[in-house]
Amino acid sequence: MSTSTLKYSAETSHDLLKEVMDRSGQNLMSCYQCRRCAAGCPVGEESGVTPDRLVRLVLLGEKENAFNNLLIWKCVACYTCGTRCPNSIQTSRINETLKQMAKEAHFEPNILRVATFHSSFVKSISHFGRSNELEFMALYEIENFKKGGLTAVKEDIKNTSKLGRAMLTKKRMHFKLDRTKGKSEIKRLFTKAAQKRGAKG
Amino acid sequence: MKIAYYPGCSLHASSKLYDIQAKSVLGKIGIELSEIEDWNCCGATSASKTDDFLALALAARNLGIADATGLSEMMIPCSSCYSRTLVSQKVLAGDPALRSEINAELSKKVEGKIKISNILEVLLAAKMELTEKAVKKLTGLKPACYYGCLLSRFPSDMPVSDSVENPVAMEGLLKSMGAEPLDWGYKTDCCGASASVNDADMALKLMSKILKDALARDANCFVTTCPMCQLNLDAYQDEVREKYGIAKSLPVYFITELIGVSMGMDPLAMQVDRHFTDATGLLKELKLI
Repeated sequence: MSTSTLKYSAETSHDLLKEVMDRSGQNLMSCYQCRRCAAGCPVGEESGVTPDRLVRLVLLGEKENAFNNLLIWKCVACYTCGTRCPNSIQTSRINETLKQMAKEAHFEPNILRVATFHSSFVKSISHFGRSNELEFMALYEIENFKKGGLTAVKEDIKNTSKLGRAMLTKKRMHFKLDRTKGKSEIKRLFTKAAQKRGAKG
Repeated sequence: MKIAYYPGCSLHASSKLYDIQAKSVLGKIGIELSEIEDWNCCGATSASKTDDFLALALAARNLGIADATGLSEMMIPCSSCYSRTLVSQKVLAGDPALRSEINAELSKKVEGKIKISNILEVLLAAKMELTEKAVKKLTGLKPACYYGCLLSRFPSDMPVSDSVENPVAMEGLLKSMGAEPLDWGYKTDCCGASASVNDADMALKLMSKILKDALARDANCFVTTCPMCQLNLDAYQDEVREKYGIAKSLPVYFITELIGVSMGMDPLAMQVDRHFTDATGLLKELKLI
């Protein structure tokens, strides 16, 4: 994230703040920057942005920096920030919202693999109702390849195949496809979700 | 006694051993786990990171199926599935409009009746029966009890049956079986979860802190209830040790296999040999199997 001179204007900050608050269900305005979240965040140091800084960015209407930073992608959803926040602000929910808003605004994800991981996981549920590790990993690497080319998958495939081999040896790999019979119901839920996303955008 | 059971995807695949152990340990004290029919994936963290509606609706379908069983309680061993299902139940209880909207798509409607329990709550309620069935003291076992994130921390306010910052349910249970669980600082820290696949350096760093602290306290094993935490700490431990220059390794047990050992169950039947980091050696060394 680049540091910039703050250019606060109530008009531009209001819309961003309102949307983030509505969609995440978090009252960002109650943040008084005590930084208990920052002290507990396991990925804040590596991200260069801690949860309190992110909240501040949104409050000041710094849309670009709020959409384009490592924290929203590195967040491991451990919920430490929200559990310790004296005002019960769950920054992980804000991260989820900002990721979705960044996508809608056509921002590139800061960590491609995190984005493809979660989208591939959800896609694999839409196929069989349950997540099948092998199918999911194949979907995930295909997405990485499509979006990032060979370099995006080379290292990954090496690591994954190492894990795969260990799983085979330890008989923890399962080849039988696990599926939900009520597929039409799962499909209806996905259709409904798409409709709701459409209504938003 | 029969309780409903949601295994989730892991317990049907890479953590099948946990499913087998949970059923046999609880079976031994007369608790029958009745797997709910035709369940689907809860959506895990991925759904909540990508689509707010799906994150609630996927778990809601399972809640509807569970309510239709007429049973009063459902146990969910996986922390992630437990968290997603509990959150969905709570959100829908407070949002009748959303509940109706989701129920309109479901053949079995969410009624919100069934009590959702994690495996520790079920085990703790049966502590007396479990210790009665124990034939062996877990002498010499010094576990670092690892809770991870999702047993005690939720994305919204949720009553928690244990301390949020310093849970002690596992310690109590293992103490009653003769083990000597240790005090340590990383019991509710994050193992990185799916970052082990999509942001590996980050996950390895988090796991190195957990492993280093457990070793510094002289633990001789980890014990956990979460299949994601178990897989991470177990399967990536060699990589963590190599990258961070840690000499010793620690087996990562599910709580169920240690209870099974205390009950004198066959370690092979419990698939204790299917760990990535050797888990049978320590039990043999301590003459527990």
